[in-house]
Amino acid sequence: MLAKENKAFTKEEELLLQDFSRNVSTKSSALFYGNAFIVSAIPIWLFWRVHALEVSSSLAWFAMVTAASTWLLALAYRNTKFQLKHRVAVRRADAVAREMARKLADDKKMSRKEKDERILWKKNEVADYEATTYSIFYNNALFLTIVILSSFYILRSFTPTVNYIVSLTAASGVLALLSTGTK
Amino acid sequence: MVMKYVICLSALAAVAFAQGCTNPQVEASSFTSLDATVVSQIAYITEFTLKCDNPLPENYALYAEVEGKPLTAARIGDNKYQVSWTEEPAKARSGTHEIRVLDEEGWASLRRARRADPAATVAPLIAIQLNHPGSYSGPWVNSEILATALSILVAYTALRNKSNILA
Repeated sequence: MLAKENKAFTKEEELLLQDFSRNVSTKSSALFYGNAFIVSAIPIWLFWRVHALEVSSSLAWFAMVTAASTWLLALAYRNTKFQLKHRVAVRRADAVAREMARKLADDKKMSRKEKDERILWKKNEVADYEATTYSIFYNNALFLTIVILSSFYILRSFTPTVNYIVSLTAASGVLALLSTGTK
Repeated sequence: MVMKYVICLSALAAVAFAQGCTNPQVEASSFTSLDATVVSQIAYITEFTLKCDNPLPENYALYAEVEGKPLTAARIGDNKYQVSWTEEPAKARSGTHEIRVLDEEGWASLRRARRADPAATVAPLIAIQLNHPGSYSGPWVNSEILATALSILVAYTALRNKSNILA
């Protein structure tokens, strides 16, 4: 009995190690990079229409800054997701376990171990999904706020090109840096 | 001598009769600038047709006074006049502006009365009410402040929720 529990725990630990690592699945990675690209490209509109930045002569800057900002934002998404996922999993654990237990209660054929695994898998799925979406929301909100603040107020007196480059790299850089913190 | 006096008097009366407008009636239309975002001055224009019981001479001149500002009415057609002036948008008051139209005689007596008392008024020939509903000088909150405020609100929500989750 003890051995069985021990063994199950090890498996759980393995799953946990695998699921709570910083590595993200390809699907998640695509989501992060896609989102980061869209959010990094949005300020082009702001600088083009509102700050009257000449588009044709700034295409190279647009490409470079968008690429850099996409990479930094994706990094920030990943790190924030990693920070959040564990806490989300803890917070959702009871609710998910209860729901899964109710759903699997009728299934008499399924072993307890199998049920536990299913619950664990579901917990992981829920935590992953919530952490991913919240991480994207959180970083996007901060990114756009920093871009708006710096472009309209802090760097107001600079030329639009300098304003664009500094605003975007600073915003994504700050987010990437903040996301590496432990808190 | 007496004859000469009578002629003189009747000539005066004739001049007075020919120049004055008896029982004046007026039909006025007006325009004021409503959008102050693209102009630096608010324009007030009123056009009116003056109808008198007696025929008016060709060059019958009219003057106007609006809130102490002396103006000349431009003659733009048969018995048709136009009075216009501009104001700084900040000073342009919304509501009814009274245009006091005077003829040459009334204008002269107003000038005379003003010399003694700067606040003197003379009953105008006609008074036209021009209504200015107020001009639009842009939104109360400009868009960048609104965008900043909204984004700060969203960012604050995000930060707060994150610290709640991590707490």
